[in-house]
Amino acid sequence: MKKIKMISFIGFLALAFFMTDACTKKPSGTLATELLPVEGSPMISFRILLNMGSANDPAGKEGLCHLTLSMMAGGGTKSLTFKEIQEKFFPMAAGVGLRVEKEMSVFTGTIHIDNLDKYYAIFKEMLLDPGFREDDFIRLKTNQLNFLEKTLVGNMDEQFGKEILNLMMYTNHPYGHHDSGTVESVRRLTLDDIRAFYQEHFKQGNITIGLAGGYPDSFSTKVVDDFAALPEGFDPQLELPALRKPEGLEIVIAEKQTPATNISMGFPHTIGKSSDDFFALWIACSHFGEHRQSLSLLYQKIREERGQNYGDYAYADHFIQGRLKFPATNYCRQQQYFSIWIRALANSNRHFVLRQALRELKKLVEEGISEERFQLVRKYLLNYTRLYAQTLGERLGWQMDSRYYGYKDFLAEVQDRLPKITREEVNNAIKTHLNSDNVYIAIITQDAESLKNDLISNTPSPISYANPNMPQKVLDEDLVIQSFPLDIHPDKIRIAKASDFFKRTGIPESE
Amino acid sequence: MVKYLSSFLCLLMILSSPIILQASKIFPYDYKVEELENGFKVVSIPLPNPNIISYYTIVRSGSRNEVEPGKSGFAHFFEHMMFKGTENMSPEEYDNFLSEIGAGTNAYTTDDYTCYYVVFAGRENLENVVKAEADRFINLFWDEEMIKTEAKVIEGEYYASVSSPSRRMFELLRDTAYEKHSYKHTTLGYLEDILDMPNQFPYSQLYKKRFYAPDNSILLVAGDFDHEQLMTLVKQYYGGWEKSSYTLVTPEEPAQTEAKRAHYDWPTQTLPMLAIGFHGPSYSDENIDKAALDLMAEIAFSRSSELYQRLVIEEQKCQSLGASFAHRRDPYLLTFNSVVKNEKDLRYVEEEIFKELERLKIEPVSEEKLADIKSNLKYSFANSLDTTDGIAGSLAFYISLTTDPGSVNKMFDLFEKVTPQDFMDMAKKYFQRSNSTVVTLTGGESR
Repeated sequence: MKKIKMISFIGFLALAFFMTDACTKKPSGTLATELLPVEGSPMISFRILLNMGSANDPAGKEGLCHLTLSMMAGGGTKSLTFKEIQEKFFPMAAGVGLRVEKEMSVFTGTIHIDNLDKYYAIFKEMLLDPGFREDDFIRLKTNQLNFLEKTLVGNMDEQFGKEILNLMMYTNHPYGHHDSGTVESVRRLTLDDIRAFYQEHFKQGNITIGLAGGYPDSFSTKVVDDFAALPEGFDPQLELPALRKPEGLEIVIAEKQTPATNISMGFPHTIGKSSDDFFALWIACSHFGEHRQSLSLLYQKIREERGQNYGDYAYADHFIQGRLKFPATNYCRQQQYFSIWIRALANSNRHFVLRQALRELKKLVEEGISEERFQLVRKYLLNYTRLYAQTLGERLGWQMDSRYYGYKDFLAEVQDRLPKITREEVNNAIKTHLNSDNVYIAIITQDAESLKNDLISNTPSPISYANPNMPQKVLDEDLVIQSFPLDIHPDKIRIAKASDFFKRTGIPESE
Repeated sequence: MVKYLSSFLCLLMILSSPIILQASKIFPYDYKVEELENGFKVVSIPLPNPNIISYYTIVRSGSRNEVEPGKSGFAHFFEHMMFKGTENMSPEEYDNFLSEIGAGTNAYTTDDYTCYYVVFAGRENLENVVKAEADRFINLFWDEEMIKTEAKVIEGEYYASVSSPSRRMFELLRDTAYEKHSYKHTTLGYLEDILDMPNQFPYSQLYKKRFYAPDNSILLVAGDFDHEQLMTLVKQYYGGWEKSSYTLVTPEEPAQTEAKRAHYDWPTQTLPMLAIGFHGPSYSDENIDKAALDLMAEIAFSRSSELYQRLVIEEQKCQSLGASFAHRRDPYLLTFNSVVKNEKDLRYVEEEIFKELERLKIEPVSEEKLADIKSNLKYSFANSLDTTDGIAGSLAFYISLTTDPGSVNKMFDLFEKVTPQDFMDMAKKYFQRSNSTVVTLTGGESR
């Protein structure tokens, strides 16, 4: 058996930090490239970034972008069946990854240089000569429907909560449906819809070719030449409607039989990574709820002090977890949102924890961040972000995102900007962009009417502990939390069966 | 920042040409192994990477060690307690220290081991990391009140998992397949044991003494550091850690003599699911059994296999199909699982899996297929080594099994020796109906 050329490519990742990245500025209508050559690296990373996503779905055809791109990543080409592709990929341990987001989608692949030519020949065909075969269509459409009807509402409540929040924030908005669409819309999709979407959107100006690693000099030219076979043209950036901010506390409860309650809450804003205010807001949200780190204030108050659940986090903008707990890349969007993620907790404590999270948010807005925490969190972000781009794919992904946000290198920008930010700027950003009075809240739980009544009537919600010697400070604070008033109008609470979600666009009507 | 980049520049000059390390080995990096007098083994992998260090502490205790009734889930519970600080460093100080250096940190518990990792930038932080980690492993402080509070967090973690039917099905498979061995339960443990965790303070002390000891733990460090400096620090800070010398005896699982079945009624919507388990061998980098079975799982049940292509791609009866023959220290299950699109096809898919296993007993696999799978495994492993974490995480798994970092290379050498005849022999040896447990799950509107 052929031996793999086992080169220590860790070393070449070090080199990547010194490579002059090459990026062509994107002229309208033609291909853009993002190149990170790392001479001698045994690996090559592909990222084909598309300026399209589920927000490009035509009305009534929600899920079309997802299904079209799935047909490319998970279906046959004109000359190869998907079975043949998998047989060819198998000895190389290769594949094609896909993520579809609101305004951006990305095909990914990583291959050992031993197999570069063989891999690329298939990869290219999948993207440039997709087969759009009937059998693949039936299979992938069924999978997409099963995900919406069964998996999302029945098997993954934490994600379900985040998706309900999205529906609430973006009603009558291109973001306002799940990336996989709705059951009704996906059922209506035809193979002709797929072909038409590909024809309409798969144009040079919508594509950035990303390559990183030890590819030969001539390889990037070859890839660009191949993709130049696509028609020129581009889709103008979507014109998005104005954000619909919540009016008071707006609540949707998805009711299902479950021993645990999941809560996601937030509200939309326009402060993305390209905004000057982002860096200050990021420090605030890292302090308040850094993703899966004990640095998070919510984590400390809800989990560590009271043992309520597994974790509680907050985000300045849309967040998708990548390798380990670092953010993934290539899901940029024009409009952003602030959110809080309360992980599964016992139903008996749902009212208390909801009060606690909103009270902490209110305190953050009113009191801001302390000097001590400001210094700690800023230092944390300066060091933690040094871990973000370790693999070829991560480095390439951040480089591509940097272009979107208008930076030469976003991670370098972090190192430059954060030391200059003041606590006052962070507290101003908090006051300007955060609030605790107008928030969308998505809850998945059972006995929804009971919760609704408790919320409307502001019924005290005491909790008990197994530990008979809880610190007095915690117990004293509990007395405040358990009666913390939430100003919720009955009309602002909607209840729907969990199984009714995603059948059609929007929040299902209450029964 | 300038200083940070300058240190890279030196490495750049050193690395101006490709380095080929141990080209014949699947794990290509040089490593050093040293053992302190108290039995604490240190595996060090200095790498010319950009100033990043992955610091892994492997405690060879997992749910396998939960042999006493009522203690399921305790290894995982104790993993949580390891973040409660010491008399030298409060939990807040520990958290703040890690936050200041911007470390990525967490822990995970498996059947056989519990792993704690700290990933951080800056070799200047190494001493403080060694000091803090040694302190918490040697001087951990916790009391009954902390146990009672943290037990609720475990309950919350359990709740976070309850919306996953595949997890419930896997629990039922193990519970049904095993009679005595501690692999009967999963790392989260039984809910009744989780609910009793607030009362387990005395046992937690015993647990720490037995298993959190230098002779049951291994330190694995990969990244940008100097080995000699690391060893000086390790000797300084871990040298006083007292041995345990405790010997765990896991219950011997009796041979299964008749086929078993179980079913789970899922309360809400889900696609129907199927899992089949056979009692298999323990991990071994010397005996051919496990190596042959690993290759068989890929050949017969991976995405390129004939059965997958037929059931998932052509007939479209299944949404997914796969096999998992995980490495474990004691004899473990060889499992097959499938998400089926229609409940009426559950039995059909089950029978097709059994038919495939019968075919493997009599039809030799082609040499071409065998070469493909060996290639796949090598490239898959190579692809995982792209970060210090990838390197440390991959090696931590093999170290947990044998304490020998060279085990991964031995295993891949063994893969090379597997023949088509081995597949037939292993299929006959392990895939008997009487050795099988079948678990199905249906629910909600899948009916």
